Amino acid sequence: MGLRYVQPAPGFKQYLPKDYVDLIDFGPFGKEVDASQLGQFKEILEEHPMCAGCWMAYFVRVFYASLPNPEDTIVLGTAGCARLALSQAAVPFIYGNYGDTNAVASGLTRALNLRFPDKQKDVVAIAGDGGLMDIGFSMTMHSWFRREKFTTIMVDNEVYGNTGGQESGMSPKGVQLKMAPKGKKFDKLPATELAKLAGCVYVVKIAPTNIKRLSKVIKRAILAARHFGPTFIHAYTSCNIEYSIPTEEVLKDAREREKKDFGFEEYMTDEVRAFFEEIEKKKKEVRA
Amino acid sequence: MYYVARVDEEKCATYNCKQCTLFCPEANTLMFDEKKNSAYVNEPRCKGCALCVYVCSDLLKRDCITMEMVTTE
Repeated sequence: MGLRYVQPAPGFKQYLPKDYVDLIDFGPFGKEVDASQLGQFKEILEEHPMCAGCWMAYFVRVFYASLPNPEDTIVLGTAGCARLALSQAAVPFIYGNYGDTNAVASGLTRALNLRFPDKQKDVVAIAGDGGLMDIGFSMTMHSWFRREKFTTIMVDNEVYGNTGGQESGMSPKGVQLKMAPKGKKFDKLPATELAKLAGCVYVVKIAPTNIKRLSKVIKRAILAARHFGPTFIHAYTSCNIEYSIPTEEVLKDAREREKKDFGFEEYMTDEVRAFFEEIEKKKKEVRA
Repeated sequence: MYYVARVDEEKCATYNCKQCTLFCPEANTLMFDEKKNSAYVNEPRCKGCALCVYVCSDLLKRDCITMEMVTTE
């Protein structure tokens, strides 16, 4: 991170909003911070109304701490739980209509390339399982078919969380929910497989239990999207309300699901692999 | 009345772990004080989920964080 061009001129600092000055003095603006230092700097994410112990809120927190270039990032969200926190950060946020995040992100990425040809702007669409795999399914798939260069992140809570608990395409087979009392009859959609088939160059399935790995994956997805094509992260972010998980056991649940059906999977094309290997080689040379 | 996490700072300072700060779902809430070498809770922001207690007591067996009722004045 390097927010050099938003550092205030001396003498002007006293007139700026306190939150902004705090981000310069104690936050990531103008410094290199890492998600593994969380709790030791002021985060760009602020207070938000998501539920206590929500694992999606945790994902959003780590996401904002992992952005490789937050000053040039635009986040898109849609109706659902995640936008409640996504919109409360010092990063531009666009609220799409339900399901159209990837269509808006496609246009935005192209417009930014025309408007700022000399700058790298990152576009990240984050939506839930309903926004990306049910209602926004066609727009998600078509943005991948068109090989649009932005990152799509699915925060999968396996339910329509804030409308009372209807089943979604990503709910596991057989699960009983408040608005699906007979139990779901169909399998969970194979989102990562669809992403690979549709042409995503970097696809990850992850349960957020290891912060270093999660942060690395988010950074990689954004970097790969800059140069090669669409990237996709499928993250398990449980809904402790609809799935009745006691708040203190949310992490335990994520660890169990990681062992069961949400094990870490990382897919990348050969050119993306070569790109990351080169970056890591350069980093090692700098250290040496 | 609110249910918030409280850190036993003296006990916490004997370890060098910072693990709870990495697992709190809330931003800028469970912070680390480098001078005291201890975690501390920004109480008005704590939602009382007790995930930090799970990390500190169940996973790490260090028992430095407890949940307490507080009243606003």
